[in-house]
Amino acid sequence: MEYIEKDCGAFKLHVYKTNKFRTVNISVVFRRVIKKDEITIRNVLSHMLLQSSKNYKEKRDLAIKVQELYATTLYNNTYRLGNYIFTNYDMEVLNDKYTEEGNLDEAIKYLSEIIFKPDVTNKKFREDKLDIVKTKISNSLNTLKENAPMYSVIRSFETFNSNSPISYRLGGYLEDLDSIDTSKLYKYYDSFINHDLIDIYVVGDVSNDVIKSIKKYFKFRTVKRRRIPYKLDRFRVRSRKLKGTERIDNSQSRISIICPIGKLSDYEEKYVLPIYNYIFGGCTESKLFRNVREKNSLCYSINSVVNKFDNIMMILCGIDKINYDKCITLIEEELQNMRWGKFTKKDLDIAKEYYQTNLDELMESPNTIINNGLVSDLLRLDSLDKRRESIVKVTKNDVIKVAKKIKLDTIFLLEGVGTDE
Amino acid sequence: MNKTEFVGLDLAYYKEVLDNGLEIYLVPMENKKNYYISYATRFGSDITNFIPVGKDEEVIVPDGIAHFLEHKMFEQESGEDPFTFFSASGTDSNAMTDFDSTQYICSGTKNFKENLEYLLKFVNSPYYTNENVNKEKGIIAEELKMYNDIPDYRLEMRLRECVYKSSPRRVDIGGSVTSIQDITKEDLYLCYENFYNPGNMFVLVVGNFDVDEALTVIKDNTELIDNNGRAKAVDVKENKKVNILEDTIESDINVEKIGIGLKIFNDDKDKLMTSMYLNMLFTCMFGSTSLFRDRVDKLNLLQSFEYDLENYNNIYTLYIMCSSTDINEILKEVRKEFKIKKVKEEDFNRIKKVWIANEVKAYDDVYDVVDRSFRDIIRYGDMVSDRVDKIRNMSLKKLNSMIKTIDFNNTSIVMMKRKEK
Repeated sequence: MEYIEKDCGAFKLHVYKTNKFRTVNISVVFRRVIKKDEITIRNVLSHMLLQSSKNYKEKRDLAIKVQELYATTLYNNTYRLGNYIFTNYDMEVLNDKYTEEGNLDEAIKYLSEIIFKPDVTNKKFREDKLDIVKTKISNSLNTLKENAPMYSVIRSFETFNSNSPISYRLGGYLEDLDSIDTSKLYKYYDSFINHDLIDIYVVGDVSNDVIKSIKKYFKFRTVKRRRIPYKLDRFRVRSRKLKGTERIDNSQSRISIICPIGKLSDYEEKYVLPIYNYIFGGCTESKLFRNVREKNSLCYSINSVVNKFDNIMMILCGIDKINYDKCITLIEEELQNMRWGKFTKKDLDIAKEYYQTNLDELMESPNTIINNGLVSDLLRLDSLDKRRESIVKVTKNDVIKVAKKIKLDTIFLLEGVGTDE
Repeated sequence: MNKTEFVGLDLAYYKEVLDNGLEIYLVPMENKKNYYISYATRFGSDITNFIPVGKDEEVIVPDGIAHFLEHKMFEQESGEDPFTFFSASGTDSNAMTDFDSTQYICSGTKNFKENLEYLLKFVNSPYYTNENVNKEKGIIAEELKMYNDIPDYRLEMRLRECVYKSSPRRVDIGGSVTSIQDITKEDLYLCYENFYNPGNMFVLVVGNFDVDEALTVIKDNTELIDNNGRAKAVDVKENKKVNILEDTIESDINVEKIGIGLKIFNDDKDKLMTSMYLNMLFTCMFGSTSLFRDRVDKLNLLQSFEYDLENYNNIYTLYIMCSSTDINEILKEVRKEFKIKKVKEEDFNRIKKVWIANEVKAYDDVYDVVDRSFRDIIRYGDMVSDRVDKIRNMSLKKLNSMIKTIDFNNTSIVMMKRKEK
């Protein structure tokens, strides 16, 4: 796979040339420092751009256009990494080899129109479309609880630290929705296009013509610089554990636990931390899965995830509420066991194997290639080869040292108080 | 080994049937690093009543037994856990039960031969005890509750009960918290012996592997297993008419939901083409470029909208699931659409183009190839190698004449309304 990086002034272009895929994938990635009061309007905007555009006045016109481009797909996605909020426009189009000459260029043009030719008159978006988007967003904010696993995570962050970006609701806020009108939205759009940091990623069997096409259609103007680091500041651990509870009309209860991670060296963060997580709760061989689920039948799902941008580890599980105390005790025991080194060489080897398989699979799909490219840039990760070499060297002692820096801080229980059947 | 090309997709598969009846399907893919192995039986939750091999009397097993058996397959007499075995090489393993099948899978990038051997071995060695059967009930109960807490899921289950009168499709694949309490180790052995024998099973391998090596391993490990015959499943006779026309359920939701089930009787032997034509019809009626979607979108009615076609014997059911600020209006709009007389030629041709492009994309991805192959083997008894031709040859005339045979009044409607507190 050949990688080309081009500084195009207002944005950086990353091209991964590979004949591994029949499709060409293009992601336009916008980012800026997250502000709580901008989240809602950003969501509204990213939906609006896919409702209509200058040359495609209705959603159906947009849908017909992508079908005519041989079932091209276009999705948008807003998410947070550390201090920044990201919005992606991701397109997947068949290579011209499988369609017709010029289809890729036409698709790139279409993507650029979505971004640069919004349905705006006199610096205002369309009223009727804004109504539709507002209804959709307000409905989805009103139905957050329907997704109990996600809701419990949101509520645990709010309990943990309500000032930090970690607690911001990425879907936005109802109270911010009302005040958004068509001209405010245009102002935000203008700032989005001109002040966000932008990267464009391309993966596929492409020639240099694709670079020309992208330069031709994507005329971003301003040069921006980043000043704020990507990672959140480390969280201090409370001397007493914080507990939060909310009741929900469900039969199952959800536990969401937050453990801040203390200061780690670069090597520890890049290599020891993922190994720690695989052993502790990151796979079906993990301590949590083995002991809480398999040995004690307390839950169907349990796992831990590490977030390097936020410097935390989360533990998530679904339980019957009568098992709450037992479950927490077991989880705390497992955290302690990690610090005491109660895991085997085999556990360590399995974790390394998982890490390696994961690396192997990173290059197997366009989306993971793009994601890896982005995250590697932000966190300055090593090359895949360097990662392969380094992971082998992780020792049991390394893992114990890291385990001692991971402490339980907040336990949030979304308590199911509904009936079973 | 028989080699067959997938028409128009630059890919081929190999097939062999062993003397004992075990079918082997191999799809090697150049350019990929990962592989995926599925060892499957044509036994899912559809089979509840059957006459065991060598017996004359029908037995009825508890709902959810196929799924329960799947969980317990991972129990080995040696005490070794299959997850642990696969993990040692960083390989993912899992199992899934559906209405019509159960499959055991592993996927990874390393240790292909050993993993394939082990997968066959562990699925061929059941070990059920009273103790390990009882232990599983807690885990499965949590799994069932987890799904049951999702409002969309509850709506679908109620809709199924309204559409079907006696088919097992009206029951959750996993059974209920109550029904699984009755499952004994004897039940599990009975099902295992009757449905986990080579004449009822197949192996599907997709991705990066050596065809000869795979074939040798499978033969060496399964050739000597006797085909004891498959039990005679007793087909549950299902009515042509829906069971219940209308129902309302209450739930702790903020945006109301509606489920519509259209039950279609069709005894054409060619189920594949029947499904394709029905899918074409419903894509034109309700897909992203349909006039229906255009209308309800402009009326600002839709929050979410999904539709899906299911086939059970001679019954085809269209499920429409939607959440909306006005579910009565949605119902009116759907009913309007049900008065359809014919499909427009331009829509028909555009959707054909989309379908062919989607095949080209799908046959480039290991997981998509697995999904399609698995579905075809289970539903249509073999791989479908000429789907692209089949799509090309679909006729608008046939589609339009099919519309006349559908009784669009044969529907069940379930509304999910907000619970008054």
